[in-house]
Amino acid sequence: MAGITVEGLSTVYPNGVRAVDELDLEIADGELFALLGPSGCGKTTLLRTIAGLEAATGGAVHIGSRDVTRFQPGDRRVAMVFQDYALFPHMTVSENIAYPLRVRGAAKSVQQETAARTAAGLSLGELLDRRPGQLSGGQQQRAALARAVAASAEVLLLDEPLSNLDARLRLEARTFLKKLQRELALTTVFVTHDQAEALALADRIAVMDAGRIRQLGTPREVFQRPADTFVANFIGSTPMNLVPRGAEIIGVRPEYLTPAAEGLFTGSVSIVENLGVTSLVTLDCGDDQIGYVVPEDDEPAIGATVTVDAPPARVLRYDKETGLLVR
Amino acid sequence: MSPLWIVRRIGFYVLVTLVLAFFAVPMLWLASAPFDSKPGLGLRWPDWTFRNVVATFEHPYALTSLVNSLLLCVLATVVTTVLAALAAYALSRVRIPGRDLLLYLLLLLSSVVTGTAAMVPIFVMMLQLGLINSQFGTALVIAGGMLPAAIFILKDFMDAVPRSYEESARVFGASPRQVLSHVVLPVARPGVATIFVWAFVNAWGNFLLPFLLLRDVGQQPAAVLLRTLYDEGGSANLTVIPVFSLLYSIPVVVLYLFVNKRYGFRFHGGIKS
Repeated sequence: MAGITVEGLSTVYPNGVRAVDELDLEIADGELFALLGPSGCGKTTLLRTIAGLEAATGGAVHIGSRDVTRFQPGDRRVAMVFQDYALFPHMTVSENIAYPLRVRGAAKSVQQETAARTAAGLSLGELLDRRPGQLSGGQQQRAALARAVAASAEVLLLDEPLSNLDARLRLEARTFLKKLQRELALTTVFVTHDQAEALALADRIAVMDAGRIRQLGTPREVFQRPADTFVANFIGSTPMNLVPRGAEIIGVRPEYLTPAAEGLFTGSVSIVENLGVTSLVTLDCGDDQIGYVVPEDDEPAIGATVTVDAPPARVLRYDKETGLLVR
Repeated sequence: MSPLWIVRRIGFYVLVTLVLAFFAVPMLWLASAPFDSKPGLGLRWPDWTFRNVVATFEHPYALTSLVNSLLLCVLATVVTTVLAALAAYALSRVRIPGRDLLLYLLLLLSSVVTGTAAMVPIFVMMLQLGLINSQFGTALVIAGGMLPAAIFILKDFMDAVPRSYEESARVFGASPRQVLSHVVLPVARPGVATIFVWAFVNAWGNFLLPFLLLRDVGQQPAAVLLRTLYDEGGSANLTVIPVFSLLYSIPVVVLYLFVNKRYGFRFHGGIKS
């Protein structure tokens, strides 16, 4: 078991793109950590640099007390699950799971025993003799996880672990993944572009953009107090209202706004979108569009004039120039 | 069913029959002539005998030449397949400027290098290297001629092996050699099997190079020996040629069947996309 320390890490591709830009990060032992950001923000490159699949151009990566910056991937004691799972198609599930042991030259019996034990722990016991092509998407994902677990590494790296599953299975797999991580108490870093996935799974989240970390914090911190307008825009299933007021931008989440006699914004209802138990109402307030969420069966009529307000603690102010959180 | 339609159908079947016969007659000849007491160049129901087979086995060079062929082809095929697989993998994974141009040039030149145009230089080179009458030297030249095309074809198969397989193996600690033997080659197996059979068939039928480089009759492969099977009168030796032709055609068919069964030209995916 070990934490990960990243110091001033840069990864520059041969074409000159600075995918990771002098980045500092500390991930605690046993933490479930999310790297979140839009595509091209450098999150996958950071993960691959920690794994050793990309060479760092500057800075250092420590796993536990070891400086692994110049280590080969195989010497870093990391295990990785790829977005496409990368299960070897010509090997059975059992052989796939035992592969890390085979590389280390473990005896056949040890390989089989470990594969059987690990597979049983991830409810794959019945599938040991199948080939990856004969498994469903969810089973493939668990087989890939089992292989990573069998490597008995100090750090588990997951690249978009849920993106290849359909929506319903994704929720199941999310719960499963969190439970597995708790049981193993293994330092785990996963990459995702889905803010809901990061909020639901992670102990802490790093929101990345252009190779740098925009905000680092617990899901609650990142959701309630986004450090700048970029994070504010990115986090949340409904986008945060960001309204310029003088030298500031006022940010309020649609979920925190409620109709009131007087308050922050007044406008006429233009659109109502049904989200299931809630509805997202859009108000036209001059040049600005304000969204707020109402419970089901409580939707206002289109064209009605509504005033909405939020508790003062939920109203964030950002600097218009820098986009940074003022208060 | 108009009369015109019927005429068209009849015309179609006649055409198909002619095309079929064009391919079937030589096959039928190959099956019947070896066992006919008076084999001719025509096709007829044989007057069964094993005399021809005995005569062929007693021919001083017939069986030797088949063994020579096997030796030459196995050598050339193994050299081609191994080197092509390694080169194709490297060319598929390493980014060097002008790589694609290099591949096309190789392919273009290979047909010139081992073709008739280069016969004299190749002969002189092999003479100076003391590799005339050497099975090994001849196999190398044949392999050299096949390599560019083999690399070119195999590179496409290597390109199709997802990088994540290799990266996955590397993260678990596999050395480059292990990555190649555990993951890349098994996944690219249909391509390797294809190249293996292709190289063998090419080498098996190669006449010009062994004819040039193997001057000693005792060293010559079957493809070259076939040319010398004449009787004293100068006409084709029809006692030996049919049986010899039959024996000559067997290894290629057997190889195809074996490789297809054992390694399969099929493919099964394991990437979730």
